[in-house]
Amino acid sequence: MTLIHMNVLMAFSMSLVGLLMYRSHLMSALLCLEGMMLSLFVLAALTILNSHFTLANMMPIILLVFAACEAAIGLALLVMVSNTYGTDYVQSLNLLQC
Amino acid sequence: MNLFTSFVLLTLLILFTPIMVSNTDPHKNNKYQSYVKNIVFCAFITSLIPAMMYLHTNQETLISNWHWITIQTLKLTLSFKMDYFSLMFMPVALFITWSIMEFSMWYMHSDPYINQFFKYLLLFLITMLILVTANNLFQLFIGWEGVGIMSFLLIGWWFGRTDANTAALQAILYNRIGDIGLLASMAWFLSNMNTWDLQQIFMLNQNPLNFPLMGLVLAAAGKSAQFGLHPWLPSAMEGPTPVSALLHSSTMVVAGIFLLVRFYPLMENNKLIQTVTLCLGAITTLFTAICALTQNDIKKIIAFSTSSQLGLMMVTIGLNQPYLAFLHICTHAFFKAMLFLCSGSIIHNLNNEQDIRKMGGLFKALPFTTTALIIGCLALTGMPFLTGFYSKDPIIEAATSSYTNAWALLLTLTATSLTAVYSTRIIFFALLGQPRFPPSTTINENNPLLINPIKRLLIGSIFAGFILSNSIPPVITPLMTMPLHLKLTALTMTTLGFIIAFEINLDTQNLKYTHPSNPFKFSTLLGYFPTIMHRLPPHLDLSMSQKLATSLLDLTWLETTLPKTTALIQLKASTLTSNQQGLIKLYFLSFLITITLSMILFNCPE
Repeated sequence: MTLIHMNVLMAFSMSLVGLLMYRSHLMSALLCLEGMMLSLFVLAALTILNSHFTLANMMPIILLVFAACEAAIGLALLVMVSNTYGTDYVQSLNLLQC
Repeated sequence: MNLFTSFVLLTLLILFTPIMVSNTDPHKNNKYQSYVKNIVFCAFITSLIPAMMYLHTNQETLISNWHWITIQTLKLTLSFKMDYFSLMFMPVALFITWSIMEFSMWYMHSDPYINQFFKYLLLFLITMLILVTANNLFQLFIGWEGVGIMSFLLIGWWFGRTDANTAALQAILYNRIGDIGLLASMAWFLSNMNTWDLQQIFMLNQNPLNFPLMGLVLAAAGKSAQFGLHPWLPSAMEGPTPVSALLHSSTMVVAGIFLLVRFYPLMENNKLIQTVTLCLGAITTLFTAICALTQNDIKKIIAFSTSSQLGLMMVTIGLNQPYLAFLHICTHAFFKAMLFLCSGSIIHNLNNEQDIRKMGGLFKALPFTTTALIIGCLALTGMPFLTGFYSKDPIIEAATSSYTNAWALLLTLTATSLTAVYSTRIIFFALLGQPRFPPSTTINENNPLLINPIKRLLIGSIFAGFILSNSIPPVITPLMTMPLHLKLTALTMTTLGFIIAFEINLDTQNLKYTHPSNPFKFSTLLGYFPTIMHRLPPHLDLSMSQKLATSLLDLTWLETTLPKTTALIQLKASTLTSNQQGLIKLYFLSFLITITLSMILFNCPE
């Protein structure tokens, strides 16, 4: 069982490193966020089902819902950047205009 | 076992026959008009028999036919109440409808949809009779709404004219406001007395009945054009003259008064409602008489005269004299319908001229119409021993000798003299003097379809008051003695009005028109009531509701409160507090190194 835990934790850390070290496209950060969320969901679901911790059955589902909302906002930001600059290169995000 | 109930139901059933042959041949050709007229005549004869039986035996009847539905404890059946009021009103209404249908065979001769016109008139008559003979409030409501709908269809008969459509809509709206009162009363009766049957309502006569009676007064004010809900009646003159003669003078507008007369057992103990009806009727009668003084359209003058007489009927109800009010309904129908028929004859003969300033000199050209018009006006003002005298004089006598509101009495007396004034105005401008219309019209009143109805109503206007007063069963003790000056009040006021009006008309005949004075403008513009009430309240209502719906709900609560405010706060906060340069990749990289270092440091056992 711990092998599975380590497997999923590795997936999570892969996505985390991918999020923190992206080169030029904003899209890759969003994809890595999704990957993190997915691995967290699987980890939580497996642990809860394995230990029959019924009280926390709701947690992965709520996590999924909020992750969907956050993905929508991320995509909206991406679309706005893409509308303004034509691409999503992060070099162009150098003016913190308000 | 006599045939009383059979004849009553036969009368109502006879009237349905022309409607049922609508889709077949008789409806399509010229015979339909005489067919409908003869049907109404047969119904009139059939309705005379139960009326005579009632006068002989004074025996009221209740016909309860078909059980429709029982909703928990409310039983709704098809029931007809044949008492004094409905049995006396039915022959009168049928006689007048018969005369008007014969007249409209002449008046609407060139109309391509004349068969539909007759069908509408017949439908109106049927719904009016349903209203009059109803024993429960549900059936009365059916008749009430029915006459409203037929009024709409008939006022807007010439629907290509915008004024006609506006007038029809106005009639519906004002009647609807009155319907609110009727529905509120029905709801109160249902929830407090568990019934809509008149018998049970009168039997369970509880004490504080203010709410339903106020509802009924509101319904009567809407339907009978009392002050505040009155502008639809002069506007309804946009319809053809037969429509004005039938609906808006004899039959439909008395439905409201009839409702209050029906409910007299509830009203005779309630002083508040009597005072309300008295004051409302007094204001109505004086206000509309003032407005009638300076109108120039002959139909509008007669419409305001109708409104004034309706106010007088309301005053009578307020004096706790329902039987006198009902007698005035019956006698008023005769001479008012005849006045409208005469005005229709004048209008058609002068090539659709309705302005009395352009009539004149018809005394020699239309002798029969002139006779009828003058006798109608005299009957209206209450000339002794014509029809109007037998109902109007007892009303004034009852008013002067009862313990009542003196202000209301003064208003009523003033309105009585103003009645004589505008009647003189009609006679003077339309009939006397030299002609003021173009001489190229052929004036011909020799058609029997025109002469016979006016002749019948003329005989009715002269004799009906006498015949009715001597035939009706006595219900209350009439007042036998009163001082001479009170007895002669009505006659004095009327004569005064006649003399003053005639003198003023003769003296100012050849003077030049000056600028209108303020009272003149008040009277001509109908007291500014339509000008104010048709513009200001709708504008205020609509702009307030637009502000509530659009500005308050949509823009503010749903849009600005959460979403836009949150965005604004975030924006302001980030501009205030940030002095970053946006080097995202550097920040992410340093975060990664920190996490890796801390995980190594805190997980290694050494």
